[in-house]
Amino acid sequence: MLIDSTHRVWIVGTAVALALGTAFYIPYALVSVRGPQGGSAVGIIYGSIGSALMLFAGLLGARKKVPVWRVGRATTWMRAHLWLGLLSFPFILFHSGFRLGAAPLTRWLMVLFIAVIVSGIFGAVLQHFLPRVITTRVPMETVYEQIDSICGQLLVEATTSATELWSALEGDLEQANPQQRAEAATAGTKGGVTFASAIGADEQFATTLHGFFDDEIRPYLVQHGGRGRVLADKERTSAIFQQFRILCPKDFWPRLNDLENICEEKRQLDRQRALHRVLHGWLLVHIPASYALLLLGAVHAVVALRY
Amino acid sequence: MSGTFLSLNSEAVHKRHFKAGDIICREGEYGSTAFYILEGKVEVFLSSPLGHVGTKAERGGFLRKLKSTITGKPQNPRDAKSERAFIPIDAPVDLPFDNPIAELQPGDLFGEMTCMSFYPRSATVRAKTDCTMLEMLRNVLDIMQRNKSFRERVERNYRKRALDNHLRSVPLFETLTPAFIDYLRDRVELRRYAPGQVICQEGEEGDSFFLVRIGFVKVSQAHPGGALVLAYIGRSGYFGEIALLGGGVRTATCTALDHVETVVIRAQDFKLMIEQFPEVRRALEVVAQQRLEENRGRVTTIRSAPIDAFLAQGLMEAQSLLVLDLERCTRCDQCVRACADAHDGVSRLIRDGLRLDKYLIATSCRQCRDPLCMVGCPVGSIRRKNSLEMVIEDWCIGCERCANNCPYGNINMHPFSVQTNDPTSPGKQVAEVKKATACNLCLDYDEPSCVYACPHDAAHRVHPNEFFAYLVQQGDTTLKKGS
Repeated sequence: MLIDSTHRVWIVGTAVALALGTAFYIPYALVSVRGPQGGSAVGIIYGSIGSALMLFAGLLGARKKVPVWRVGRATTWMRAHLWLGLLSFPFILFHSGFRLGAAPLTRWLMVLFIAVIVSGIFGAVLQHFLPRVITTRVPMETVYEQIDSICGQLLVEATTSATELWSALEGDLEQANPQQRAEAATAGTKGGVTFASAIGADEQFATTLHGFFDDEIRPYLVQHGGRGRVLADKERTSAIFQQFRILCPKDFWPRLNDLENICEEKRQLDRQRALHRVLHGWLLVHIPASYALLLLGAVHAVVALRY
Repeated sequence: MSGTFLSLNSEAVHKRHFKAGDIICREGEYGSTAFYILEGKVEVFLSSPLGHVGTKAERGGFLRKLKSTITGKPQNPRDAKSERAFIPIDAPVDLPFDNPIAELQPGDLFGEMTCMSFYPRSATVRAKTDCTMLEMLRNVLDIMQRNKSFRERVERNYRKRALDNHLRSVPLFETLTPAFIDYLRDRVELRRYAPGQVICQEGEEGDSFFLVRIGFVKVSQAHPGGALVLAYIGRSGYFGEIALLGGGVRTATCTALDHVETVVIRAQDFKLMIEQFPEVRRALEVVAQQRLEENRGRVTTIRSAPIDAFLAQGLMEAQSLLVLDLERCTRCDQCVRACADAHDGVSRLIRDGLRLDKYLIATSCRQCRDPLCMVGCPVGSIRRKNSLEMVIEDWCIGCERCANNCPYGNINMHPFSVQTNDPTSPGKQVAEVKKATACNLCLDYDEPSCVYACPHDAAHRVHPNEFFAYLVQQGDTTLKKGS
């Protein structure tokens, strides 16, 4: 979520709540004989407030499961999740007296809580700039789930273009333009003009292109990510196709351009896939850690209050 | 009809016999013939169940429904006031909504729109008794329509049996008394128009009121840079009231889009009607005022819009765009999920489409000003509601015409498994029917679900004009250039 001036109310609200919490905590910490304790009345109040905030932040997941329910705009829920979730951290620290705790359970709770908060902040930072990066660096962006399907289509298109191109280079008249066909038809009647030269056929280049397609283009289009492939590098790809243009008759350049564009689209889709994984990957830590935190937090509350 | 013509076109017209219960044609099928009943009776009905994709949130818990279902009227009531009481079909009669079945008799002609303009069949026709009819291709029908005695017979039949039904199918005329309809019966005129023919011209004096019987009429206004399409009017739609109620001058040009037939009520009869029935006058005045305001709104929008940018992206026709701010959008697809949840598991938006700077115009109904999707719906099921939202009514027969007509691919056909008695094969049950689905801006809610459910404040339904004005204000030079 982009944190901008529209968050001002939440920022101010969170700051005020934090200031109030701190204002109460300082005298409490100073006057407590044994220092601030989670089990003291004030400690339990801080713990309850922190837990309530955590619980509310955790409800965002449930809210997303029922996107149509009119229980407040999802944007409001997300803002509440961000700021109240963040606010829960100092309150829990006030509850624990800035200690990890002696029991393994409380230690694990603090570790999980730190993991949740850090991963959440990391996710918020990613969400702040990665959408812009995807927008600018992947102009051919598509629906993430469709990437594999589109790569399949690109392979089919590339195979068709390449086949037509090398067929033309091998002298297939069907791929020639009307003027070339006319010249080919009169080949032999004019000095030096042959059937092949009339249509610009170049079997040697056709063989080179055939090899390049089989060795580089096809594997690149099939492979996820294209790591280690020449075509994964935009500048090297550009240089290779520029070299091909020198060797290839100008009439066939549009097909070469098609192939180059297909490689560019594949490159962008790979980039989208990678960026998308980064943009959403942090949730693999954040969500399980949050569930574990809520569960263990409940256990901690029961155990602490009972015993 | 001359013997020479018949001998030259003997293969273009056939006398057919059907036994009681035989299906003569089925709704949704494409055909090229019309039928003229010589003997016997037929019944016309819709075999597709009346229903649409529900727009209620799922109440059953967190688990999603695995299959979509059709929601009937009782489960999902729509605004009753705006609903039509009759379903327009390609026959002399319309079907009552509550019981969509009607009867045709000897002398009736049906399937004219299919024959003349190749529209899908609008209803299923079954022989009620043993019957004999002429099935004819377009050239024969065309000649027959020009034949004076045949025309007179068809018109006589229409006046006698269908005019009443046709007038009452228009909500505004529901209150006309039988006596007045009898008065109109011999005074109205049936006029036919060829595709492209101008029915009335903007600026000329209005002398008649038109009720569309067959085909589609395009209503447009002349503006610098070309004509602006204001509306398409299909069967049971009407036009010409503004000139007769107001200044007497036509405010728009009406052109036949295909083979059109209109019922013409001359000015003096129209005046008599509105004098005798003040409620009809009041209703017509309200409609005329609404139309004038809508037209003014469109013209204002177009005059103030950065036309180049609109035209370049084909967005000028839109009234509402689903815009995603790609710098805010985390591609979480909550909008798509919300849309699917709001519509029984069938999403009506795809998070892909045109890009304008950092904005994505998602693939979702744009509620076009020039709703090409409405042209050719054989049963008039797709229509505009409250001037903005496109609604696909329950009597959609799944012919896909609207989906094919939409230039932006924003209407989808969705198959539904339903268990209902198949009227065409008594005793059997229909396994699957198709219905068209398009974004209706979540009519049942205050705000479209896709926008409401976006956690990142990235999805917005915007008016194109305001949106582009905002972009231009932001100093987007690319847009200013109209590229």
